[in-house]
Amino acid sequence: MQVEKFYYDNKTVKWFAYAVMVWGLVGMLAGLWIAVELYYPPLSMGFAPTTFGRMRPVHTNAVIFAFVGNGIFMGIYYSLQRLCKARMFSDTLSKIHFWGWQLIILAAALTLWAGCTSGKEYAELEWPIDIAIALVWVLFGINMFGTLIKRRESHIYVAIWFYIATWVTVAMLHIVNSMELPISILKSYSLYAGVQDALVQWWYGHNAVAFFLTTPYLGLMYYFLPKAANRPVYSYRLSIVHFWALIFLYIWAGPHHLLYTALPDWAQSLGTVFSIMLIAPSWGGMLNGLFTLRGAWDKVREEPVLKFLVVAVTCYGMSTFEGPMLSLKNVNAISHFTDWTIAHVHIGALGWNGFMTFGVLYFLIPKLWNTELYSKKLATTHFWLGTIGIILYAVPLYWAGFTQAMMWKSFTEEGQLKFQFLETVTHILPMYIARSVGGLIYIVGTIVMTYNLIKTIGQGSFIGDEAAEAAALPKVLETHSKEYWHRWIEGRPMQMLVFSLIAVAIGGAIEIIPTFLVKSNIPTISSVKPYTPLELHGRDVYIREGCYLCHSQMVRPFRDEVARYGEYSKAGEFVYDHPFQWGSKRTGPDLARVGAKYPDSWHFNHMQDPQSMSPGSIMPSYPWLYENDINAFQTPKMIWAMRTLGVPYPVGYESQCNKDAETQANEIVARLKADKLEVKPSREIVALIAYLQRLGKDIKSAPKETKKVVGDAAVPGN
Amino acid sequence: MRNIFKKIMLPFALLLTSTASLWAQGPKAPSSLTNPFVLVLSLVIVALAIIIAFLAKLVINSAFIKLNKDKKSISGSGLASVITIVGLLSSFSLFAQDKAATDAAATKSVATLSSNLNGVSETAFYLLGSVLFLEVLIIIILLFVLRAFLIVEKKAVVSATSSGVAVEPDLNWWDNLNRFKPIHEEADIDLGHNYDGIRELDNKLPPWWLYGFYCCIVFAGIYLYRYHVAESAPLSKQEYEISVAKADAEKAAYLEKSANNVDENTVKLLTDEASLSAAKKTFQTICAACHLPTGAGSVGPNLTDDYWLHGGGIKDVFKTIKYGWPDKGMKSWKDDFSPIQIAQLASYVKSLRGSNPPNGKAPQGTLYKEDASTDAAKVDTTKGTKVDSTKK
Repeated sequence: MQVEKFYYDNKTVKWFAYAVMVWGLVGMLAGLWIAVELYYPPLSMGFAPTTFGRMRPVHTNAVIFAFVGNGIFMGIYYSLQRLCKARMFSDTLSKIHFWGWQLIILAAALTLWAGCTSGKEYAELEWPIDIAIALVWVLFGINMFGTLIKRRESHIYVAIWFYIATWVTVAMLHIVNSMELPISILKSYSLYAGVQDALVQWWYGHNAVAFFLTTPYLGLMYYFLPKAANRPVYSYRLSIVHFWALIFLYIWAGPHHLLYTALPDWAQSLGTVFSIMLIAPSWGGMLNGLFTLRGAWDKVREEPVLKFLVVAVTCYGMSTFEGPMLSLKNVNAISHFTDWTIAHVHIGALGWNGFMTFGVLYFLIPKLWNTELYSKKLATTHFWLGTIGIILYAVPLYWAGFTQAMMWKSFTEEGQLKFQFLETVTHILPMYIARSVGGLIYIVGTIVMTYNLIKTIGQGSFIGDEAAEAAALPKVLETHSKEYWHRWIEGRPMQMLVFSLIAVAIGGAIEIIPTFLVKSNIPTISSVKPYTPLELHGRDVYIREGCYLCHSQMVRPFRDEVARYGEYSKAGEFVYDHPFQWGSKRTGPDLARVGAKYPDSWHFNHMQDPQSMSPGSIMPSYPWLYENDINAFQTPKMIWAMRTLGVPYPVGYESQCNKDAETQANEIVARLKADKLEVKPSREIVALIAYLQRLGKDIKSAPKETKKVVGDAAVPGN
Repeated sequence: MRNIFKKIMLPFALLLTSTASLWAQGPKAPSSLTNPFVLVLSLVIVALAIIIAFLAKLVINSAFIKLNKDKKSISGSGLASVITIVGLLSSFSLFAQDKAATDAAATKSVATLSSNLNGVSETAFYLLGSVLFLEVLIIIILLFVLRAFLIVEKKAVVSATSSGVAVEPDLNWWDNLNRFKPIHEEADIDLGHNYDGIRELDNKLPPWWLYGFYCCIVFAGIYLYRYHVAESAPLSKQEYEISVAKADAEKAAYLEKSANNVDENTVKLLTDEASLSAAKKTFQTICAACHLPTGAGSVGPNLTDDYWLHGGGIKDVFKTIKYGWPDKGMKSWKDDFSPIQIAQLASYVKSLRGSNPPNGKAPQGTLYKEDASTDAAKVDTTKGTKVDSTKK
């Protein structure tokens, strides 16, 4: 057969590798920043972009989409070419992909700092950036499938199955969850409301973990681990079984982020059971990785790349076992809303994604520059710093989470809550300090790696186009009667794409469609009314400042939460919430029923100086809310958008809304004045107070009869 | 051949028995399974039983190997058969015990239906515990037996190699557990795939992994059945109602025999040092947010003057703290503080009278004149009429 000569494109890989190193450090430093803010609130410096609420999305977006995202592309652009025995389909597309993605990251960081956020965790970016992501993602897909089509290898390797599943699922998740109605260039409202928004968001959020942080990295593991160990993959059968089981089952598990919330019980149960069934498919990946090292464990002692990969795969196994355990209702009742979840995700992020990325970098850089690693000793140092960093990060947080949950749930014998919320926070501050030390050590390790890699680059010479040769792809794929049935699809990437899409579409469809269509899932509460225009403005401020990152708005049906916050939350309360603001972490207390709990003046003083109203609080102050005016020009557009989304404002209310907002603002200003507090009615703080005082009020003011479920009333937004 | 047949059948038989027992537990005895602790213990018991059965299988296999190699030795075969029987018996009797234990737990914990964590009766707990202990013991014994076999095998290998016949090194329990192929036999299962130098082997799925997967699927089925078909397990809202009912009963039982049982009708002004200093601490951390540490008032009213919005008698103040005036920004504190603590706080607030702190807030409400002899002052708090109307 004719042997063809061609060149691998290493330049794109190089650029993505640089991006990984730079964004990795940026993202981790942002994480360290907010970790310190948790016990040293003055670090926010009274400057909006550096407060926890705005830095936290910067941190999560930077590590997920910039660090891991570039890591995925780096690994795929390197391994895909070699597994296909072909250069990437188009150098131009590779270039557009690289620069497009970096611009998206830059735009994301700037807009998040500026407070432009859609208010949905891990999907905070506003609509123009969402569209840009979709476009770049499609270009990446064209580049990938183009390469697959012109490949010289007859069958596609398991790593590529994972790449394909990643591509198609992320596209689906991103498009469905980012559906929003823009009212200006950087402001939009989620198409979905309340319970439905929550379900879609966590279907997305959970599977962003699955298909952005897991499946592409499993693909990388399947390429780089056997390459680095020079051992055959342990079991091809296991690859097949765990691949299909993983992508099919993962999609269903989203509702385990919403256990005990107002989400219908059947959806919660599906989330739980599919999480439990996920243990085996997840572990299949770990076993296939670790067993591949059979007979090569002596190399693990020597080779830093393998060390990183082994710990990465082990951390993967640990967090994919812990995850299903956290989906059991009785465990979730303790872990949810606490730092336990934060510890859990960081085992995955620092251990699995971080260490895998480091391993791949240590493997790639010397290869791309045709040299040896500058110092194995420094790499080993990095390995130990990283490992100690992870332990020091996670253990205090597990402790903190468990302790705090136990304190929340403690009652005295007389039946009173034993601890004020603030006491439970100040109690775990030492753990927060220990955690930030762990994070710092991890970052020091990353800096050591960066130095090591820069030195390696310095001593080598870069091969931009690496020569290779292989026989052309035969026109007809040969099949032997003895071959596995699965070999059929391995010769057909487009069919693989379609089958993967079917596998991942089922779970989401079965959970989401009934929640939207069956009205009994979200019983209407007649006393729940749309927000007033001023409250809508206040809600926008609440979203902009990322209040939902520390405060939940979801009272779960637990004795302690009902005693602490009031009646547990009902699905019907959230029908006008575009987007929902249930939150996922309670660094501060729940706010679902905060309305009318404190006087206006309390909130006024509290936003200016939280410690004055609750001594020892770790909340930052928000001085700019007292200087900035709400944008009254936008009010009619907000009303229009909400009505378009199904909120029943009367037609023509646009001309009335600003007048109503002024009236309400003047009332609040008058009440503040009675407490010797002076403020202009147009200030943002007034709107925020209006919103906070509204929270939970509808259900409180409802007479007992109307609280009854009215099942057949129409649900706005459907 | 028999050996192979057994090899194939045993895990299936195991799976069947384990799933059957799980199914039997599911719908029949829901009350025991509603207790998460019992549930977890039962699951651990089942998991250990599976491990035991698996180990037993290994022991049986090694016994057969030894039997084949060592045909002359009668004692050897005797030992093997004894172990086989013991292994089988123990695993079966375990299932029996397992069932018995959960049944017992079921009957015992009916009373404490679906309580969290501590609703297990002592008997059930010890029963489950002893089953667990037994299982662990059996596992250890089996491991010892297995090790003994392996040592014998090893010796055989050593003697065989020394006599010039090439014999492969033996697989240890870990290799057996995962059904590993010896590395030097790897070529037999190489699929001939080559992706950029990466080869693929055709190893079988690790059995424990596969059966674990099956177990998870069975768990999922039972879970959905119990919550949504049989409705024998409480959903979140029912769970809440159960926990509140239980807490109320406990609280009532406690208050009945405790001196803490004060309310707005029986509260008396406390003057002892201990009560006031305890209350002072609470006041300065919690109440100070609105009333300032001195009680001079900021968001909330001044508590040191003679004017009161909702009445200034000890009973009024107690009531104000206990139920709050939510429309005016004072929350109810009855879920945060015990009755005695509220009494202490009310007494402390009363003790602040006339302390004249700097920057005191202007008086609000109506003048209240203290009359030590009447604490039963009736106040129309909503209208804020004078409190001293019931003066003797």
